[in-house]
Amino acid sequence: MITILSVFPELLDLNGDAQNALVLAQRARWAGWDARVHNLALGDSLEGEAPQAVIVGSGAESSAPRVLEGLRALEGSLRAWSADGIPLLAVGTGWELLSESVELSSGDALEGLGIFSGHSVARARVSDDLVVDSDFGRLIGFENHAREYRAVAGARALGTVVYGVGNSLAAEPRLEGEVVGTSIGTHLHGPVLAKNPGLADYLLGLITDGRYEANNATAERVDASAQAARNQIAVRLGLAAE
Amino acid sequence: MASTRYVPAILVGRAVRFIARLRKRDGGSAIPGLVVNRIAPGLLPHALNSFPDGLVIVSGSSGKSTTTKMIVAILRAHGRTVFTNPSTANISQGLTSALLEKASVTGRLSDRMAVLEMDEGHGALVARDLDPHTVILTNVMTDQIDRFFESEQVAELLERIAERATGTVVYNADDALLAELVDRLAAAAVGFGAAPDVLAAAPRGLGYARQVQSRPRATVEVTAVHGRAATLDWDGVSMTVELPARGIHYAVDAAAAVCGASEVLGPDFDATIAVDAISTLEPVFARGEVTRVRGMPVEFVLVQNPASFQLNVDELDPELDQVLMAIGSDVRDPSYFWPVDLSAMPPVTVVTGSKAHELALQLEYQGVAVGALEPDLATAIDTFFALPAPKHGIKTVIFSADSMRRTRTHLGLA
Ligand SMILES: [Zn+2]
Repeated sequence: MITILSVFPELLDLNGDAQNALVLAQRARWAGWDARVHNLALGDSLEGEAPQAVIVGSGAESSAPRVLEGLRALEGSLRAWSADGIPLLAVGTGWELLSESVELSSGDALEGLGIFSGHSVARARVSDDLVVDSDFGRLIGFENHAREYRAVAGARALGTVVYGVGNSLAAEPRLEGEVVGTSIGTHLHGPVLAKNPGLADYLLGLITDGRYEANNATAERVDASAQAARNQIAVRLGLAAE
Repeated sequence: MASTRYVPAILVGRAVRFIARLRKRDGGSAIPGLVVNRIAPGLLPHALNSFPDGLVIVSGSSGKSTTTKMIVAILRAHGRTVFTNPSTANISQGLTSALLEKASVTGRLSDRMAVLEMDEGHGALVARDLDPHTVILTNVMTDQIDRFFESEQVAELLERIAERATGTVVYNADDALLAELVDRLAAAAVGFGAAPDVLAAAPRGLGYARQVQSRPRATVEVTAVHGRAATLDWDGVSMTVELPARGIHYAVDAAAAVCGASEVLGPDFDATIAVDAISTLEPVFARGEVTRVRGMPVEFVLVQNPASFQLNVDELDPELDQVLMAIGSDVRDPSYFWPVDLSAMPPVTVVTGSKAHELALQLEYQGVAVGALEPDLATAIDTFFALPAPKHGIKTVIFSADSMRRTRTHLGLA
């Protein structure tokens, strides 16, 4: 049984980011695996849960201090899983809270868990399409953040920005996200794994020790919709269709 | 106050409106309002504060259009002449344009009172200079089209509007953010809401950012909802109204309107007149509207935000076998709908609109069967209406606002 842990989905599903857990579980089921999503509510105990992947979505800034407190309570488990190569996908504020620090719009800063290397600093809001060239193919999605992410020198990015802002307008080349081992942080919000099955299947490969294969009729039909949605956005942005 | 101070600005505004109409046949442009607000920023508050029987402001995340229309209908049925505003994105320009249409050259309106719908953002700005007698607050929803406002920020904006009330604040007593806000106000407050068993019947609540756990009886309570019939209890008087569409949220809007109208009218309020006024309203939006297309009955369901999406989908008959869903370019980033749980939906016969592929992704991952995927709306509509009558229920069309307009145009509906 594959268990995907969705962390505090009642607070971290602002744009459907928590639904990335559903995407992984469904793709696994379509390929014949038993899979479930464990929705971990803030304040609930893990009760010895040993998930095969972890999803941390994005939430409202006002809930960030509460979410951070909840993440601290999970810190030991999160670090142990990351050391064991359990994949983690963190989006938006969820990612920022797992990094070194987050500056809120009030000017106050929160100290994060430091699983990712960067500092998030307040900036004017970006709200637009985001296209990234990555090792997992071209990633297409939407960014909506009022902070820029300053990774440490030498940190590994998720990819290079083709359209949009990504981590910071100041950096050259412009980078998006951060990858630490099997943990991925990104501004690509919402169901990024549905629209980018290449990234989903990379995570499923890690989850199943390379045994996962996407060649089933349902995945092919659904991925055709994803491809059409991706191409529609790419063409609108003046990029080549795939 | 009948000064001649605003005569020049109004005359200029009318001239601009005249020119705008010559250039654009349908008139109704926001430009005259823009011009007048620039040259005479005091005109709008002056006019709105001059109604002899006062001003009522309706605001909140959702339900304000329905509530406004209901309260206007109740007041007019009681013989009051009421000025009201069409809902528009920019309240001050829209209102000023509407004023230019109806005001005398000194900036006065002949109506005795006004009931104005205001969104939180513009409303908080405009309300700074207004002295409404009554402010009605519908709710603070978690998710909105304009989701760059967080719920707490929305509540703050509503508080700024509510602070202007010289008489009463009428508020949704089930909404915790509103209940807390009202506690901080100097003005008198009167609540409306839904009885506990009515709330319990809504599987996911009503979409409020935070719901009150328990509270004393409100002045107007929704005590039962069956289809389009709702029973309200107004201080011990039972009123059964026919809603403009089915759904608990419309019943709560009716409770807000009855509560607001009874505050405004005082002893003149007549429950029988109010019941008739609400029950004879035309459907406010296409949401929940049943009409006939090419000889067949069809239900139109409008999706305006994730909260209304969830509520409307939860009310669908799971056995429906002919459903069309259309999401258009008005939904900039459809990931915003992914927190909506569609898994209990009936199968979708046709998915269409410029965001059809993204909508199909959500349906597929949430386990809803998708029949045909046809991004071209006109083709999809024609295919859907060419299908024989459904085996169960009636043809059902679920659409975003942009797709609704295109669908209605394509079908030749008003
Ligand atoms: Zn039925």
